[in-house]
Amino acid sequence: MKKRSFADIAFTICNSLFMIAFVVITLYPVLNTVAISLNDGIDAVRGNIHLLPRAFTWKNYGTVLRKQNIVTGAYISVARTILGTLIALVANALLSYIVSRKRFMFRSQLSLFWVITMYVNGGMVPILLLYKSLGLTNTFWVYIFPGIIGAFNMLVMRTYMEGLPDALEESAQLDGAGYMTIFVKIISPLCKPIYATVALFVAVGQWNSWFDAMLYNRMKDEYTTLQFELMKLLSSVMQQSGSATNQSTTAVSAVTPTSVRAAATVVTMLPIICLYPFLQRYFVAGLTIGGVKE
Amino acid sequence: MKFRKYFVTLMAAAMATGMLTGAVSAEEYSDDQIKDYTMFIAMPGSEKNDGNEVKEIIAHKIGGRVKEIWLTGQTDAEAVGTIIASGEYPEFINGGDAMAALYDADVLVAWDDYIDNYPNLKEMYTDKEWDMFRQEDGHIYWANVFGNTYGMSKATTHNDEAFWIQAKVLEWAGYPQIETLDEYFDVLEKYYEANPTLEDGTKVIPYTMLCEDWRYFCIENAPEFLAGYPNDGSVIVDKENMQIVDYNTIPIAETYFRKLNEEYSKGIIDIEFGTQTYDEYIAKLSTGAVLGMCDQWWDFAYTVNDVFKQQGLDIAGCNYVPLGLVAEKGQENRWHTYGDTLNNSSGVAITTSCDDVEAAFQFLNDLLDQEIHDLRFWGVEGVDYLVDENGLYYRTPEMRMQVADNEYKASHMCDYSYMPQWGGTSKDGINAMTPTEQTSEFFEGLAEPLVKCFEAYGAGNYPDMIHSVVEENAPWFPMYSFSNAMTTETEGGVAWTKMGEVKHEWLPKVVMSDDFDTTWAEYMEAYNATNPEAFLAEMQEELERRAAAAAE
Amino acid sequence: MAKSNKKQAITMKEIKRQKFLLIWSAVFVIYGIIFYYVPLGGWIMAFQHYKPKTGLLHSKFVGLDKFKFLFYDDVFLKVIRNTLAMGILTLVATFIMAIAFAILLNEVKSMFAKKAIQTISYLPHFLSWIIVCGILHDALSGSGIVNEVLVGLHILKTPINFFAHPGYFWPIVAFANVWKETGWNAIIYLAAITSIDPCLYEAASIDGGGRWAKIRHITLPGIRPTIMILLIMNIGNVLNTSFEIPYLLGNGLIKSVSDTIDIYVLTWGISQSDYSLGTAAGIFKSIVSIVLILIANSVAKRSGGERLF
Repeated sequence: MKKRSFADIAFTICNSLFMIAFVVITLYPVLNTVAISLNDGIDAVRGNIHLLPRAFTWKNYGTVLRKQNIVTGAYISVARTILGTLIALVANALLSYIVSRKRFMFRSQLSLFWVITMYVNGGMVPILLLYKSLGLTNTFWVYIFPGIIGAFNMLVMRTYMEGLPDALEESAQLDGAGYMTIFVKIISPLCKPIYATVALFVAVGQWNSWFDAMLYNRMKDEYTTLQFELMKLLSSVMQQSGSATNQSTTAVSAVTPTSVRAAATVVTMLPIICLYPFLQRYFVAGLTIGGVKE
Repeated sequence: MKFRKYFVTLMAAAMATGMLTGAVSAEEYSDDQIKDYTMFIAMPGSEKNDGNEVKEIIAHKIGGRVKEIWLTGQTDAEAVGTIIASGEYPEFINGGDAMAALYDADVLVAWDDYIDNYPNLKEMYTDKEWDMFRQEDGHIYWANVFGNTYGMSKATTHNDEAFWIQAKVLEWAGYPQIETLDEYFDVLEKYYEANPTLEDGTKVIPYTMLCEDWRYFCIENAPEFLAGYPNDGSVIVDKENMQIVDYNTIPIAETYFRKLNEEYSKGIIDIEFGTQTYDEYIAKLSTGAVLGMCDQWWDFAYTVNDVFKQQGLDIAGCNYVPLGLVAEKGQENRWHTYGDTLNNSSGVAITTSCDDVEAAFQFLNDLLDQEIHDLRFWGVEGVDYLVDENGLYYRTPEMRMQVADNEYKASHMCDYSYMPQWGGTSKDGINAMTPTEQTSEFFEGLAEPLVKCFEAYGAGNYPDMIHSVVEENAPWFPMYSFSNAMTTETEGGVAWTKMGEVKHEWLPKVVMSDDFDTTWAEYMEAYNATNPEAFLAEMQEELERRAAAAAE
Repeated sequence: MAKSNKKQAITMKEIKRQKFLLIWSAVFVIYGIIFYYVPLGGWIMAFQHYKPKTGLLHSKFVGLDKFKFLFYDDVFLKVIRNTLAMGILTLVATFIMAIAFAILLNEVKSMFAKKAIQTISYLPHFLSWIIVCGILHDALSGSGIVNEVLVGLHILKTPINFFAHPGYFWPIVAFANVWKETGWNAIIYLAAITSIDPCLYEAASIDGGGRWAKIRHITLPGIRPTIMILLIMNIGNVLNTSFEIPYLLGNGLIKSVSDTIDIYVLTWGISQSDYSLGTAAGIFKSIVSIVLILIANSVAKRSGGERLF
């Protein structure tokens, strides 16, 4: 074997260092959160906890899981993720199937109709008023209906389906199969990777969304979501002004210790972190083929 | 037989008086008779667990149960805007500074037709005071729930703003007289130099300030007090000339911020002060590492003192003692407000989503019933407090420890803290309406370092530490109830909003600046560009209106 | 795509054959109209003094008053600046990082290490912004890990409060996006790199080209089309990248650099209940988005590269 040049070795070293740094920066915050979540609350305030808890305890998880809203939020989050993903998957698949049929008469018009929605939208206020008039606000369905079709998901699936050989459809048609049969029996089985990819997109979106819970279901604790509950715990914003002197003589919020917040964070990220490595095979394939036309 | 007849008559009489005074009937409500309400409170607070014990007891006694939803992660205006936009409102709402938006959106029920039927509620204010709650259309839509004293005041705390300092710092310094900012920071600096860390190694933070949202009064309004004026909040009222004065631009304001700037560059002020959230601030105070800050008692003490008790930090002298600082030695101060403060700009309201308005009013009314009031603030007799042979309520040290516990508060205590309530003396004439005001409880519950500190200064309670001028509130007091209710519909309201924005941005900048004079000049320029004159003119007009109304 | 699509004659027979497709297209169009196009009708509000009481039909028309208010409002102009600045900074930073990461990862020789790094690199993509902001907030706080490291390395004397200085905010936003999306965005580039003809690399080796030279002369040109199309697709989203972080991590001190159009809409439209003004600001945002995508598309067209439509 040829002796490696100095530049080559230097490159390898630098690259290895870069990769190590990358991995550390990516993983450290997550591991640190786990460590804090396993540390005693009062002790954690002193700081200086890195990868291992200093005063180990499971108590924080107990505290989190005893919070009624977090439990409700978990149920709702799971429900919206499963239901929302199933419905969106079927709808997007069907729509993509339609717009990828070469013989379909309104093919380009239908595509354009949806592509436009990617860039033009009514904005927060008109959308809110629409949902209100449709009776979607203050219900669970506000998490499901608005997101059934996503133009981006449609594009990804369409590209994938267009890549399948036309001969499949033609031979099935010769056998007398209708469009529905072709969709269910022939195209869908071939689309598993892209279905998995889109399902993952939608599921991640559903699981991670919080703004809808805040805006549309603010008064409905029974429809709260895990992310919104987490946001409440972590909440740290505030713009706005005003100098009230509202005196409460007794009620002051009990502070949520850092360690409890960390535990809530871990509870919220755990399901998806456990899941994604197993789906990796699918989404990498799906994204690669569907994402960009070669 | 005779005895029995006597007893029956007595019972009948008792029941009759019970009816007349609107007292809670002995009849219990069954589970399906209990009405469930929701209430939104535009303040952060801690949620009660489902099945909270006192909440259930109250529910069975008066037939109503309220689920409180607190403000989280949003500003009050944003949360209220969201509620208005969603079109479905909670039955009860306490909208903080955003009450005006609710009124504008027509979602509140007017009280005028109901109030006379509910004596406990009616009793909260005099007719003249109720009139102050009238909105432009002449109706009353809400009532403030705080600052009402029944009978004699029992106040032992300083439920107002002050520069606070840990008792142990005063002890360490030999209980010096501290009157000015310079003296105050001098003590903090010396103590910090000698004790840079706590025993467990936590770094001491000599001084911190909260600048978040409306709570930025902690940094913002000290000049009005340093100048010796009472808490009118947004402005100073110069009584002699009946003039509104802007405390942001008086020389004392500049001196105050110059001092803060100096201390910041010395490393005495917490570097996170400008960005910390309320939660972080409270968490910091709760560690006992913060030596001092400027704040209102109600903004920190209820949470922080309970944590101190739980952690044994009270015995270590971490409790805060108020100091009535002034700009010049010997000057009088008005940090403590002796009378009741009526803030007509916010309170509890009933919304149009409530399908049984009368029941809702009845519920509010019943909450003020002494028996229920005791349940709310004292808890369950025999569990949370005991009664001695003179009828005086008291708590054992274990009980005090128990009611300071957050878990216990969530599962057992239910004070409905943003519902109508009284301070002062109980209707039994013996006790205080709330345990915090019970004199005997106050001294029993006081940690030793505080007792020593009070003794050293010859103070009997917190207000005595301050030495404020004892006087009645002026008829226009507090002016902030007007500025809080301003909307961007008027020029002054727009100016007020912008002034707030400029101050939020610049005050921390001024404190952190490397070059105070330049930054101060830039701040003043930005401040004056917001047209504060328009705001001041509207305040002046309101002052004159209030003064004239009082003279009538 | 339109080129290859020969127009079909619309005959009854064809309609019958495509019944299934037509019925479902109709369902999707109805759905799309309700959820995406009806809100556009709400744009009328921007030209009214809309009051919920009077509704769309009876509110007073005020012409362009609301837009005038926007453009005379210093805050709105700043908000536009902030939105664009954060969007562009984020776009550039995430692009460069994703490409660099893909190329460098491709150079890692150990298959195991490569797989492991790649799996780890996806992780942040699956975390919500709530979590990312929580992490960021803790890491950058006065006692957080960043200050700890910087002070430990004697780069800083005393800890800095990163959220108190306007200068740090945009870079923080860009960094957060880089942290979250680098691994994910690199997927497509990695795939594009794998599809480059290995013969090219061999030829370069024979010519004595180093690894650096190969990256410059083979890999980068090889993935150029992919870069172009992703760039165009993302330019339309520039204005959408700046809501969560400013909303969750902004504060009074840095408001002048952290507030974005979305936050402005929220402040006016929801907090102040001025639905008309909120809508007007939203319209402006949509228009800017479209302009951006058209510009990007025509630039791409002129330079002869890939384009969207």
